Amino acid sequence: MKLEIKRLVRDYGTKRVLDLEEVTIEKGTRTAIIGPNGAGKSTLLNIVSRIDSATEGEVHYESEDPRLVTQVFQQPYMLRTSVERNIQYPLRLRNWPEDRMKKRSDELMEELGLLDLRNQKAWKLSGGETQKVALARALSFQPSLLLLDEPTANIDPATTAEIEEMLLKINQEEGTTILFVTHNLAQARRVCNRLLFLDKGKLVESGDCQSILQNPAEVKTRRFIAGELLI
Amino acid sequence: MDVISAGIAQAFRLILSGDPEIYGIIGLSLFVSFSSVLISTCLGMPAGILLGTHSFRGKGVLLRIIYTFMSLPPVIAGLTVFLILMRRGPLGHLQLNYTPTAMIIAQICLVTPIIIGLTYNLVREKAPVVNRLGITLGAGRLEIMALMIREMRIGLTAAVVSGFGRAISEVGAVMIVGGNIKGKTRVMTTYITELKSMGDYSRAIAIGIVLLIIAFAINAILYNFQEREGK
Repeated sequence: MKLEIKRLVRDYGTKRVLDLEEVTIEKGTRTAIIGPNGAGKSTLLNIVSRIDSATEGEVHYESEDPRLVTQVFQQPYMLRTSVERNIQYPLRLRNWPEDRMKKRSDELMEELGLLDLRNQKAWKLSGGETQKVALARALSFQPSLLLLDEPTANIDPATTAEIEEMLLKINQEEGTTILFVTHNLAQARRVCNRLLFLDKGKLVESGDCQSILQNPAEVKTRRFIAGELLI
Repeated sequence: MDVISAGIAQAFRLILSGDPEIYGIIGLSLFVSFSSVLISTCLGMPAGILLGTHSFRGKGVLLRIIYTFMSLPPVIAGLTVFLILMRRGPLGHLQLNYTPTAMIIAQICLVTPIIIGLTYNLVREKAPVVNRLGITLGAGRLEIMALMIREMRIGLTAAVVSGFGRAISEVGAVMIVGGNIKGKTRVMTTYITELKSMGDYSRAIAIGIVLLIIAFAINAILYNFQEREGK
Protein backbone atom coordinates (compact mmCIF):
# COMPACT_ATOMS: atom_id res chain seq x y z
CA MET A 1 0.00 0.00 0.00
CA LYS A 2 1.74 3.07 -1.32
CA LEU A 3 1.36 6.58 0.07
CA GLU A 4 1.28 9.27 -2.60
CA ILE A 5 1.35 12.99 -1.85
CA LYS A 6 0.66 15.40 -4.70
CA ARG A 7 0.89 19.19 -4.66
CA LEU A 8 0.19 19.29 -0.96
CA VAL A 9 -0.15 22.77 0.54
CA ARG A 10 -0.99 23.80 4.08
CA ASP A 11 -1.42 27.44 5.02
CA TYR A 12 -1.98 28.79 8.51
CA GLY A 13 -3.42 32.21 7.85
CA THR A 14 -1.01 33.87 5.47
CA LYS A 15 1.88 31.60 6.38
CA ARG A 16 2.59 28.62 4.13
CA VAL A 17 3.93 25.84 6.34
CA LEU A 18 3.88 23.01 3.83
CA ASP A 19 4.33 23.05 0.08
CA LEU A 20 5.19 19.64 -1.36
CA GLU A 21 5.17 18.88 -5.06
CA GLU A 22 5.24 15.11 -5.08
CA VAL A 23 6.29 12.53 -2.54
CA THR A 24 5.83 8.78 -2.73
CA ILE A 25 6.32 6.47 0.21
CA GLU A 26 6.58 2.85 -0.87
CA LYS A 27 4.94 0.05 1.04
CA GLY A 28 7.02 -1.51 3.78
CA THR A 29 9.62 1.26 3.90
CA ARG A 30 10.87 3.00 7.03
CA THR A 31 11.17 6.67 6.20
CA ALA A 32 12.73 9.27 8.46
CA ILE A 33 11.52 12.85 8.05
CA ILE A 34 14.15 15.29 9.20
CA GLY A 35 14.50 19.02 9.03
CA PRO A 36 14.81 22.11 11.22
CA ASN A 37 11.98 23.36 13.42
CA GLY A 38 9.14 24.78 11.35
CA ALA A 39 10.00 22.61 8.35
CA GLY A 40 6.47 21.19 8.24
CA LYS A 41 7.36 17.67 9.39
CA SER A 42 4.60 17.33 11.98
CA THR A 43 2.12 19.11 9.71
CA LEU A 44 2.80 16.51 7.05
CA LEU A 45 2.17 13.65 9.49
CA ASN A 46 -0.99 15.31 10.80
CA ILE A 47 -2.40 15.64 7.29
CA VAL A 48 -1.59 12.02 6.46
CA SER A 49 -3.28 10.84 9.66
CA ARG A 50 -6.26 13.15 8.96
CA ILE A 51 -6.10 15.13 12.16
CA ASP A 52 -5.34 18.15 9.98
CA SER A 53 -6.50 18.93 6.49
CA ALA A 54 -4.59 20.27 3.52
CA THR A 55 -5.31 23.70 2.08
CA GLU A 56 -4.68 22.29 -1.37
CA GLY A 57 -3.60 18.99 -2.86
CA GLU A 58 -4.15 15.45 -1.82
CA VAL A 59 -2.82 12.51 0.08
CA HIS A 60 -3.63 9.22 -1.52
CA TYR A 61 -3.18 6.04 0.42
CA GLU A 62 -3.89 2.92 -1.57
CA SER A 63 -5.81 1.10 1.14
CA GLU A 64 -8.29 4.00 1.31
CA ASP A 65 -9.08 2.80 4.81
CA PRO A 66 -8.18 5.58 7.23
CA ARG A 67 -8.52 3.11 10.08
CA LEU A 68 -5.31 1.42 8.94
CA VAL A 69 -3.29 4.60 9.48
CA THR A 70 -2.28 5.60 12.98
CA GLN A 71 0.02 8.06 14.68
CA VAL A 72 2.08 8.12 17.86
CA PHE A 73 2.85 11.54 19.30
CA GLN A 74 5.73 12.93 21.28
CA GLN A 75 3.45 13.40 24.26
CA PRO A 76 0.76 10.76 23.94
CA TYR A 77 -2.55 11.10 25.72
CA MET A 78 -3.41 8.22 28.00
CA LEU A 79 -7.06 7.37 28.52
CA ARG A 80 -8.11 7.52 32.16
CA THR A 81 -8.15 3.78 32.52
CA SER A 82 -5.70 0.90 32.92
CA VAL A 83 -2.73 0.17 30.67
CA GLU A 84 -4.45 -2.94 29.35
CA ARG A 85 -7.67 -1.13 28.48
CA ASN A 86 -5.71 1.65 26.79
CA ILE A 87 -4.08 -0.91 24.52
CA GLN A 88 -7.42 -2.60 23.88
CA TYR A 89 -9.33 0.61 23.10
CA PRO A 90 -8.76 0.51 19.29
CA LEU A 91 -9.76 -3.16 19.30
CA ARG A 92 -13.01 -2.37 21.14
CA LEU A 93 -13.73 0.20 18.43
CA ARG A 94 -13.31 -2.59 15.90
CA ASN A 95 -15.51 -4.99 17.88
CA TRP A 96 -12.84 -7.61 18.40
CA PRO A 97 -14.04 -10.53 20.55
CA GLU A 98 -12.87 -10.39 24.16
CA ASP A 99 -10.53 -13.42 23.98
CA ARG A 100 -8.84 -12.27 20.76
CA MET A 101 -8.48 -8.77 22.17
CA LYS A 102 -6.87 -10.06 25.36
CA LYS A 103 -4.50 -12.29 23.40
CA ARG A 104 -3.37 -9.37 21.23
CA SER A 105 -2.89 -6.96 24.14
CA ASP A 106 -0.99 -9.65 26.09
CA GLU A 107 1.33 -10.19 23.13
CA LEU A 108 2.11 -6.50 22.84
CA MET A 109 2.53 -5.99 26.59
CA GLU A 110 4.94 -8.91 26.71
CA GLU A 111 6.99 -7.63 23.77
CA LEU A 112 7.26 -4.16 25.27
CA GLY A 113 7.77 -5.30 28.87
CA LEU A 114 4.45 -3.91 30.05
CA LEU A 115 2.91 -7.04 31.58
CA ASP A 116 3.61 -5.93 35.15
CA LEU A 117 1.88 -2.63 34.45
CA ARG A 118 -1.26 -4.24 33.01
CA ASN A 119 -3.60 -2.92 35.72
CA GLN A 120 -1.77 0.32 36.43
CA LYS A 121 -3.49 3.63 35.79
CA ALA A 122 -2.10 4.63 32.42
CA TRP A 123 -2.03 8.36 33.14
CA LYS A 124 0.27 7.79 36.11
CA LEU A 125 3.09 6.14 34.15
CA SER A 126 6.56 7.54 33.50
CA GLY A 127 7.39 9.12 30.13
CA GLY A 128 9.05 5.99 28.76
CA GLU A 129 6.28 3.68 29.93
CA THR A 130 3.66 6.03 28.51
CA GLN A 131 5.37 5.99 25.14
CA LYS A 132 5.52 2.20 25.13
CA VAL A 133 1.80 1.97 25.95
CA ALA A 134 1.06 4.48 23.18
CA LEU A 135 3.05 2.38 20.74
CA ALA A 136 1.35 -0.86 21.84
CA ARG A 137 -2.04 0.86 21.51
CA ALA A 138 -1.20 2.09 18.01
CA LEU A 139 0.06 -1.33 16.93
CA SER A 140 -2.80 -3.29 18.48
CA PHE A 141 -4.95 -3.27 15.36
CA GLN A 142 -2.01 -3.96 13.03
CA PRO A 143 -2.01 -0.71 11.07
CA SER A 144 -0.46 -0.74 7.64
CA LEU A 145 0.95 2.78 8.02
CA LEU A 146 2.48 3.95 11.29
CA LEU A 147 3.32 7.64 11.74
CA LEU A 148 5.60 8.62 14.59
CA ASP A 149 6.21 12.20 15.66
CA GLU A 150 9.39 12.28 17.72
CA PRO A 151 8.24 9.37 19.87
CA THR A 152 11.51 9.01 21.76
CA ALA A 153 12.26 12.66 22.51
CA ASN A 154 12.95 13.01 26.26
CA ILE A 155 13.07 9.24 26.77
CA ASP A 156 15.96 7.28 28.27
CA PRO A 157 18.29 5.33 25.93
CA ALA A 158 17.16 1.89 27.11
CA THR A 159 13.48 2.61 26.39
CA THR A 160 14.44 4.27 23.11
CA ALA A 161 16.28 1.09 22.12
CA GLU A 162 13.24 -1.06 23.00
CA ILE A 163 10.97 1.15 20.91
CA GLU A 164 13.37 1.13 17.97
CA GLU A 165 13.65 -2.65 18.17
CA MET A 166 9.87 -2.96 18.14
CA LEU A 167 9.59 -0.69 15.12
CA LEU A 168 12.11 -2.77 13.16
CA LYS A 169 10.33 -5.95 14.20
CA ILE A 170 6.84 -4.92 13.10
CA ASN A 171 8.25 -3.52 9.88
CA GLN A 172 9.97 -6.81 9.09
CA GLU A 173 7.29 -9.19 10.34
CA GLU A 174 4.10 -7.35 9.45
CA GLY A 175 5.33 -5.15 6.62
CA THR A 176 4.12 -2.00 8.37
CA THR A 177 5.15 1.17 6.56
CA ILE A 178 6.77 3.64 8.94
CA LEU A 179 7.03 7.42 8.65
CA PHE A 180 9.19 8.71 11.45
CA VAL A 181 9.79 12.36 12.35
CA THR A 182 12.98 12.67 14.34
CA HIS A 183 15.63 15.21 15.21
CA ASN A 184 18.03 12.44 16.07
CA LEU A 185 20.07 11.60 12.98
CA ALA A 186 21.73 8.60 14.62
CA GLN A 187 18.25 7.25 15.30
CA ALA A 188 17.21 7.89 11.70
CA ARG A 189 20.26 5.90 10.61
CA ARG A 190 19.43 3.03 13.00
CA VAL A 191 15.73 2.75 12.22
CA CYS A 192 15.10 4.01 8.70
CA ASN A 193 16.05 3.02 5.19
CA ARG A 194 14.57 6.08 3.43
CA LEU A 195 14.87 9.75 4.28
CA LEU A 196 13.05 12.98 3.47
CA PHE A 197 14.68 16.28 4.31
CA LEU A 198 12.23 19.16 4.58
CA ASP A 199 13.00 22.84 5.01
CA LYS A 200 10.47 25.67 5.25
CA GLY A 201 7.70 23.36 4.12
CA LYS A 202 9.48 22.16 0.99
CA LEU A 203 11.10 18.87 0.16
CA VAL A 204 14.82 19.50 -0.27
CA GLU A 205 16.11 15.98 -0.68
CA SER A 206 14.85 12.43 -0.51
CA GLY A 207 16.32 9.00 -1.04
CA ASP A 208 18.26 6.28 0.68
CA CYS A 209 18.78 7.16 4.33
CA GLN A 210 22.40 6.03 4.69
CA SER A 211 23.45 7.66 1.41
CA ILE A 212 21.93 11.03 2.26
CA LEU A 213 23.35 11.05 5.78
CA GLN A 214 26.81 10.11 4.48
CA ASN A 215 26.83 12.17 1.34
CA PRO A 216 23.99 14.66 0.99
CA ALA A 217 23.45 16.08 -2.46
CA GLU A 218 21.98 19.39 -1.39
CA VAL A 219 23.83 22.15 0.42
CA LYS A 220 20.94 22.75 2.81
CA THR A 221 20.90 19.08 3.79
CA ARG A 222 24.66 19.07 4.28
CA ARG A 223 24.51 22.15 6.50
CA PHE A 224 21.67 20.71 8.53
CA ILE A 225 23.41 17.37 9.02
CA ALA A 226 26.66 19.06 9.97
CA GLY A 227 24.86 21.29 12.44
CA GLU A 228 22.94 18.42 13.93
CA LEU A 229 26.02 16.28 14.25
CA LEU A 230 27.86 19.08 16.01
CA ILE A 231 25.11 19.16 18.59
CA MET B 1 -27.22 32.96 71.46
CA ASP B 2 -29.95 31.07 73.36
CA VAL B 3 -32.28 31.56 70.45
CA ILE B 4 -29.77 29.96 68.10
CA SER B 5 -28.93 26.96 70.31
CA ALA B 6 -32.59 26.39 71.16
CA GLY B 7 -33.38 26.72 67.48
CA ILE B 8 -30.77 24.11 66.52
CA ALA B 9 -32.06 21.66 69.15
CA GLN B 10 -35.62 22.18 68.03
CA ALA B 11 -34.53 21.86 64.43
CA PHE B 12 -33.22 18.34 64.98
CA ARG B 13 -36.42 17.38 66.84
CA LEU B 14 -38.40 18.70 63.89
CA ILE B 15 -36.35 16.79 61.37
CA LEU B 16 -36.63 13.56 63.34
CA SER B 17 -40.35 14.02 64.01
CA GLY B 18 -41.16 13.42 60.34
CA ASP B 19 -43.24 16.59 60.02
CA PRO B 20 -45.20 16.07 56.76
CA GLU B 21 -45.15 19.77 55.86
CA ILE B 22 -41.38 20.01 56.19
CA TYR B 23 -40.81 16.80 54.27
CA GLY B 24 -43.22 17.99 51.57
CA ILE B 25 -41.20 21.17 51.22
CA ILE B 26 -37.91 19.25 51.10
CA GLY B 27 -39.36 16.88 48.51
CA LEU B 28 -40.58 19.72 46.28
CA SER B 29 -37.22 21.51 46.57
CA LEU B 30 -35.36 18.40 45.47
CA PHE B 31 -37.86 17.72 42.68
CA VAL B 32 -37.59 21.27 41.28
CA SER B 33 -33.79 21.37 41.56
CA PHE B 34 -33.14 17.88 40.18
CA SER B 35 -35.56 18.48 37.29
CA SER B 36 -33.99 21.80 36.35
CA VAL B 37 -30.46 20.40 36.62
CA LEU B 38 -31.37 17.35 34.53
CA ILE B 39 -32.87 19.49 31.76
CA SER B 40 -30.04 22.02 31.99
CA THR B 41 -27.50 19.20 31.69
CA CYS B 42 -29.23 17.83 28.58
CA LEU B 43 -29.20 21.32 27.05
CA GLY B 44 -25.95 22.70 28.41
CA MET B 45 -23.52 19.82 28.07
CA PRO B 46 -23.92 19.25 24.30
CA ALA B 47 -23.93 23.04 23.81
CA GLY B 48 -20.69 23.36 25.81
CA ILE B 49 -19.09 20.49 23.87
CA LEU B 50 -20.11 22.02 20.53
CA LEU B 51 -18.81 25.43 21.58
CA GLY B 52 -15.54 23.91 22.73
CA THR B 53 -14.97 21.93 19.56
CA HIS B 54 -16.21 24.29 16.84
CA SER B 55 -15.30 27.75 15.65
CA PHE B 56 -17.87 30.03 14.07
CA ARG B 57 -18.63 33.69 13.55
CA GLY B 58 -19.98 35.40 16.65
CA LYS B 59 -18.62 32.76 19.02
CA GLY B 60 -16.80 35.38 21.09
CA VAL B 61 -19.96 37.42 21.60
CA LEU B 62 -21.94 34.29 22.45
CA LEU B 63 -19.36 33.27 25.04
CA ARG B 64 -19.44 36.71 26.65
CA ILE B 65 -23.21 36.44 26.91
CA ILE B 66 -22.95 32.97 28.45
CA TYR B 67 -20.35 34.16 30.98
CA THR B 68 -22.64 37.06 31.89
CA PHE B 69 -25.56 34.68 32.35
CA MET B 70 -23.43 32.45 34.58
CA SER B 71 -23.73 35.17 37.20
CA LEU B 72 -27.28 36.17 36.33
CA PRO B 73 -29.05 37.44 39.48
CA PRO B 74 -31.86 34.98 40.32
CA VAL B 75 -34.40 37.79 40.75
CA ILE B 76 -33.78 38.91 37.18
CA ALA B 77 -34.21 35.35 35.89
CA GLY B 78 -37.37 35.03 37.99
CA LEU B 79 -38.76 38.36 36.85
CA THR B 80 -38.08 37.57 33.18
CA VAL B 81 -39.74 34.16 33.37
CA PHE B 82 -42.64 35.67 35.35
CA LEU B 83 -43.21 38.37 32.70
CA ILE B 84 -43.13 35.81 29.90
CA LEU B 85 -45.54 33.49 31.71
CA MET B 86 -47.91 36.09 33.19
CA ARG B 87 -51.45 36.21 31.83
CA ARG B 88 -50.70 39.10 29.45
CA GLY B 89 -47.25 37.72 28.54
CA PRO B 90 -46.29 35.85 25.37
CA LEU B 91 -46.78 32.45 27.04
CA GLY B 92 -49.57 33.52 29.40
CA HIS B 93 -52.03 31.08 27.88
CA LEU B 94 -50.02 28.21 29.39
CA GLN B 95 -50.97 29.46 32.89
CA LEU B 96 -47.69 28.28 34.38
CA ASN B 97 -46.94 31.05 36.87
CA TYR B 98 -47.19 29.93 40.50
CA THR B 99 -46.56 26.29 39.55
CA PRO B 100 -43.50 24.08 40.07
CA THR B 101 -43.10 24.03 36.26
CA ALA B 102 -42.48 27.79 36.24
CA MET B 103 -39.96 27.33 39.06
CA ILE B 104 -38.15 24.67 37.04
CA ILE B 105 -38.08 26.96 33.97
CA ALA B 106 -36.64 29.82 36.05
CA GLN B 107 -33.96 27.56 37.47
CA ILE B 108 -33.11 26.22 34.01
CA CYS B 109 -32.36 29.84 33.02
CA LEU B 110 -29.93 30.06 35.94
CA VAL B 111 -28.30 26.64 35.71
CA THR B 112 -27.91 26.11 31.94
CA PRO B 113 -25.35 28.92 31.42
CA ILE B 114 -23.28 27.54 34.32
CA ILE B 115 -23.19 24.07 32.79
CA ILE B 116 -22.47 25.44 29.30
CA GLY B 117 -19.65 27.68 30.57
CA LEU B 118 -17.96 25.05 32.73
CA THR B 119 -18.31 22.36 30.04
CA TYR B 120 -16.94 24.73 27.40
CA ASN B 121 -13.83 25.51 29.44
CA LEU B 122 -13.22 21.87 30.13
CA VAL B 123 -13.72 20.81 26.51
CA ARG B 124 -11.61 23.64 25.11
CA GLU B 125 -8.70 22.41 27.15
CA LYS B 126 -9.04 18.68 26.65
CA ALA B 127 -10.95 18.14 23.40
CA PRO B 128 -8.04 18.66 20.96
CA VAL B 129 -5.95 15.85 22.45
CA VAL B 130 -8.86 13.47 22.87
CA ASN B 131 -10.11 14.25 19.37
CA ARG B 132 -6.62 13.69 17.94
CA LEU B 133 -6.29 10.37 19.74
CA GLY B 134 -9.74 9.22 18.64
CA ILE B 135 -9.06 9.99 14.98
CA THR B 136 -5.68 8.27 14.95
CA LEU B 137 -7.09 5.14 16.59
CA GLY B 138 -9.99 4.89 14.17
CA ALA B 139 -12.91 6.26 16.20
CA GLY B 140 -15.90 7.78 14.41
CA ARG B 141 -17.62 11.03 15.38
CA LEU B 142 -20.02 9.50 17.88
CA GLU B 143 -17.28 7.34 19.36
CA ILE B 144 -15.10 10.43 19.81
CA MET B 145 -17.98 12.29 21.50
CA ALA B 146 -18.51 9.31 23.84
CA LEU B 147 -14.77 9.18 24.51
CA MET B 148 -14.72 12.89 25.35
CA ILE B 149 -17.56 12.56 27.83
CA ARG B 150 -15.87 9.55 29.42
CA GLU B 151 -12.49 11.25 29.63
CA MET B 152 -13.96 14.44 31.07
CA ARG B 153 -16.37 12.74 33.44
CA ILE B 154 -14.85 14.22 36.59
CA GLY B 155 -15.00 17.79 35.31
CA LEU B 156 -18.45 17.30 33.82
CA THR B 157 -19.74 15.92 37.11
CA ALA B 158 -18.34 18.97 38.87
CA ALA B 159 -20.18 21.20 36.37
CA VAL B 160 -23.47 19.42 37.11
CA VAL B 161 -22.91 19.65 40.86
CA SER B 162 -22.16 23.38 40.55
CA GLY B 163 -25.45 23.74 38.69
CA PHE B 164 -27.26 21.82 41.40
CA GLY B 165 -25.70 24.03 44.07
CA ARG B 166 -27.02 27.08 42.27
CA ALA B 167 -30.50 25.56 41.88
CA ILE B 168 -31.02 24.26 45.41
CA SER B 169 -29.75 27.41 47.09
CA GLU B 170 -31.40 30.19 45.08
CA VAL B 171 -34.45 31.96 46.43
CA GLY B 172 -35.15 34.97 44.23
CA ALA B 173 -36.31 33.22 41.07
CA VAL B 174 -38.50 30.58 42.70
CA MET B 175 -40.04 33.20 45.00
CA ILE B 176 -41.08 35.40 42.05
CA VAL B 177 -42.46 32.69 39.76
CA GLY B 178 -43.62 30.26 42.45
CA GLY B 179 -45.01 32.69 44.98
CA ASN B 180 -44.16 30.48 48.00
CA ILE B 181 -47.67 29.01 48.09
CA LYS B 182 -48.08 26.57 50.95
CA GLY B 183 -48.42 22.98 49.78
CA LYS B 184 -47.97 23.98 46.16
CA THR B 185 -44.83 25.98 45.40
CA ARG B 186 -43.17 26.36 48.76
CA VAL B 187 -39.54 25.22 48.73
CA MET B 188 -36.84 25.29 51.39
CA THR B 189 -35.30 28.64 50.53
CA THR B 190 -38.59 30.53 50.20
CA TYR B 191 -39.83 28.90 53.39
CA ILE B 192 -36.72 30.01 55.31
CA THR B 193 -37.35 33.59 54.14
CA GLU B 194 -40.95 33.44 55.32
CA LEU B 195 -40.12 31.78 58.66
CA LYS B 196 -37.52 34.43 59.36
CA SER B 197 -40.02 37.22 58.74
CA MET B 198 -42.46 35.42 61.06
CA GLY B 199 -39.80 35.03 63.77
CA ASP B 200 -40.03 31.21 63.71
CA TYR B 201 -36.30 30.70 63.93
CA SER B 202 -36.29 27.03 64.95
CA ARG B 203 -38.11 25.96 61.82
CA ALA B 204 -35.94 28.28 59.74
CA ILE B 205 -32.82 26.73 61.25
CA ALA B 206 -34.23 23.21 60.72
CA ILE B 207 -34.75 23.85 57.03
CA GLY B 208 -31.33 25.53 56.84
CA ILE B 209 -29.72 22.44 58.36
CA VAL B 210 -31.48 20.20 55.86
CA LEU B 211 -30.20 22.40 53.03
CA LEU B 212 -26.69 22.13 54.41
CA ILE B 213 -26.97 18.34 54.76
CA ILE B 214 -28.12 18.04 51.15
CA ALA B 215 -25.28 20.28 49.96
CA PHE B 216 -22.83 18.24 52.03
CA ALA B 217 -24.16 14.93 50.69
CA ILE B 218 -23.96 16.04 47.07
CA ASN B 219 -20.44 17.37 47.51
CA ALA B 220 -19.37 14.25 49.41
CA ILE B 221 -20.55 12.11 46.50
CA LEU B 222 -18.61 14.30 44.08
CA TYR B 223 -15.51 14.23 46.26
CA ASN B 224 -15.60 10.42 46.51
CA PHE B 225 -16.09 10.14 42.77
CA GLN B 226 -13.15 12.45 42.09
CA GLU B 227 -10.96 10.60 44.56
CA ARG B 228 -11.85 7.22 43.07
CA GLU B 229 -11.37 8.32 39.48
CA GLY B 230 -8.45 10.65 39.98
CA LYS B 231 -6.09 8.52 42.06
